[in-house]
Amino acid sequence: MFESLIPSVAPLVAAASEEAEAVSEVINLVPILLALPLAGFVFTAFFGRRIGRFAFLVPLLLVVATWVLGMVVVYEALSGGFGEHGAGITLYTWIPAGAFQVELGLFVDQLTACLLIVVTTIGMLVHLYSVGYMAHDPGRWRFFAYLNLFMFSMLLLVLGDSWLTVFAAWELVGLSSYLLIGFWYPRWSAALAAKKAFIVNRVGDVGFALGIMLIWASTGTLDIRDSFELIAGLDGTTIAVIALLVFCGAVGKSAQFPLHVWLPDAMEGPTPVSALIHAATMVNAGVYLVARANPIFALAPDVMVLVAAIGIFTAILAASIAFTQNDIKRVLAYSTLSQLGYMFAALGVGAFIAAIFHLMAHGFFKGLLFLGSGSVIHAVHEEQDMNNMGGLWRKIPITHWTMLVGTLAIAGIPPLAGFFSKDEILAESFKFGFQWVWAIGVVVAVMTAFYMWRLMGKTFYGEPSAHVRSLWDRIHESTWTMTLSLVLLAIPSLFLGMAIGLPLGDSTLKHWLEPVFEESEKMLHGEAKPFELLGIDGVLIIISVAAAALGLGVGIALFGAFRRGERRARVEALTNSSGATRFLYRASFAKWWFDDLNHLLFIVVGGRVADAMWWFDRTVVDGTVNGIGRLTIDAGRGLRRVQTGRVQNYALGIAIGLIVMIGSYLLIAAR
Amino acid sequence: MSQSLDAYLVLSGILFAIGTFGFLARRNAISMLMSIELMLNAVNLTIVAFGAFIPDLNVDASVIALMVMAVAAAEATVGLAIVMAIYRNRRTPLVDEYDAMRQ
Repeated sequence: MFESLIPSVAPLVAAASEEAEAVSEVINLVPILLALPLAGFVFTAFFGRRIGRFAFLVPLLLVVATWVLGMVVVYEALSGGFGEHGAGITLYTWIPAGAFQVELGLFVDQLTACLLIVVTTIGMLVHLYSVGYMAHDPGRWRFFAYLNLFMFSMLLLVLGDSWLTVFAAWELVGLSSYLLIGFWYPRWSAALAAKKAFIVNRVGDVGFALGIMLIWASTGTLDIRDSFELIAGLDGTTIAVIALLVFCGAVGKSAQFPLHVWLPDAMEGPTPVSALIHAATMVNAGVYLVARANPIFALAPDVMVLVAAIGIFTAILAASIAFTQNDIKRVLAYSTLSQLGYMFAALGVGAFIAAIFHLMAHGFFKGLLFLGSGSVIHAVHEEQDMNNMGGLWRKIPITHWTMLVGTLAIAGIPPLAGFFSKDEILAESFKFGFQWVWAIGVVVAVMTAFYMWRLMGKTFYGEPSAHVRSLWDRIHESTWTMTLSLVLLAIPSLFLGMAIGLPLGDSTLKHWLEPVFEESEKMLHGEAKPFELLGIDGVLIIISVAAAALGLGVGIALFGAFRRGERRARVEALTNSSGATRFLYRASFAKWWFDDLNHLLFIVVGGRVADAMWWFDRTVVDGTVNGIGRLTIDAGRGLRRVQTGRVQNYALGIAIGLIVMIGSYLLIAAR
Repeated sequence: MSQSLDAYLVLSGILFAIGTFGFLARRNAISMLMSIELMLNAVNLTIVAFGAFIPDLNVDASVIALMVMAVAAAEATVGLAIVMAIYRNRRTPLVDEYDAMRQ
């Protein structure tokens, strides 16, 4: 009887052992990757205050160790050590509840590896930078504890292999973000911004949670890879709803329209936080999520179009706001929004690899720009208004040159990182039939180059402002930990594109990520078309480079470069030249009144509705409950009079009762 | 001895009514105890009357009547003792002054 089973079991056993052999031992390092920052958080949270000035040592060393381990894991994953479709490791059964089993498992594939590069590298450099940046803050032990907590959460987010784990990590990064935005909580605006970020994120998270519930309800599994296979068998509407709900979570975390309002306010946090969480890593979680869920989205092409539309709309909206903001960090925040919009546009048109490419490139150059802005803010004594800067380029040369690299990278000047990724997004959206995305994308590219040069011009070039002149002799370059981080971030901003973006059309990154996205891309676009440098692709490259050059050119003309001064008069003349430009300036300056709209919708109108509900609750709901209580009290008070304490009254009651009973008995018996 | 049961029942009804009235209307605790005795005796009279007119109940009625008398005696003893105790405490035999049970 068992003999008949043997032939069918044998190949399975063979396959299993083969797979076990194929997965490298390095996978066992992955849990340590999570344990290190968690240990750093726990240690610093408990002992950091006592350690005081050197509280950064343990978190910094642990994060460096995390980076080393991370690079080992990344190398193994990208060189095929984990097999073509990645490898996982199950730690333990997290929720064993009858049929509802959730394993706490970690999973590494090529996509995870790309995210690990960004998260661990920038995380490490930001820790290093913070040693200098936070040197004078009495609460820095708290800061480093939170940073380590964030590192743990973010790594769990990219490593988690079940929807529930990812969701838990999703909330944990939100928590760390909240804690770090509100790090200087005695400042009213910081506390308010932290709350705003948390609440706006919650709106998106509700959608994400519903999406996970729907996945569980319709497939019966929460394992990400298993669920993809089962979702393919569902009907189109359910898939579209799942995709929409998951995208809803991504919109919240990645601050896309209409939930984009929290990110600019999040700049109230310390600058390293802005660099790490609100530019390079956490806000990319939404992009990662959609890319990870690409098998779902590939089955819901209508939702993909929505993703592309929201992405490109956010890109142009945020770019237009960045034109007129004067706070250096706010410009960068809107720029982040805009670049995230690019990534979503890329995801929406089905150019997943381009989106991840831009995610990585943007992580590095935007992290660099933020850290640079922090260095500038330090140099001019905690001043963030660019109108109070100017002429700083010779005073803080390292900051200036590294930020210049970042600016050119984000503008898309070849051969810097941003050129390769941005060009790939634009080219692919054109080739996949989304010409409108391409057209808006090119406009955004011009705008990006322009507002970034405006930032450079107002900060580093032109005449020094009165504020800068008053400080002139005391302005100096930041400490070595900060400048070292800047230089180390400038290197990938310069070379990342060349390292993994070449050769064009058949890049290294494409080879890495091909196994993750292959099926979805085939389903969406059919067979890939060959790359034509002398045909359509060449033309598209020339157009996007021309767009960047145009933006930079206008920027240089208006805001100067190096010795050339800023033409303030000409800028003002331009904005005042007609009613339309005046209106656009006002609209951009007021951020298209989105905060006012939200105020009107949720504070004024929402407040009225809440008032009405409160009234209903108070009078009707509470009224019923209290009414019953009051009725009982009143009845008792009234009936208390019956108890006179006189024996004869009671006896009378007994007598009357007796008479009534006998009388009624007789009446009934007489019938 | 009358030949009709009704006469005895009417008599005992009247006695019971007087007892009830006395219990409800008199303020003196001793009088109330006496009224209770009156009611008990009215009931006893009924029982004995039924026993005399229904041969089957003859023996039973006599036993019950004796039992009621014994209980009535015991009740009167206890009742009087209570009244004496309250009187010593309150210096009044009038029950409407006993209001310690109120609230």
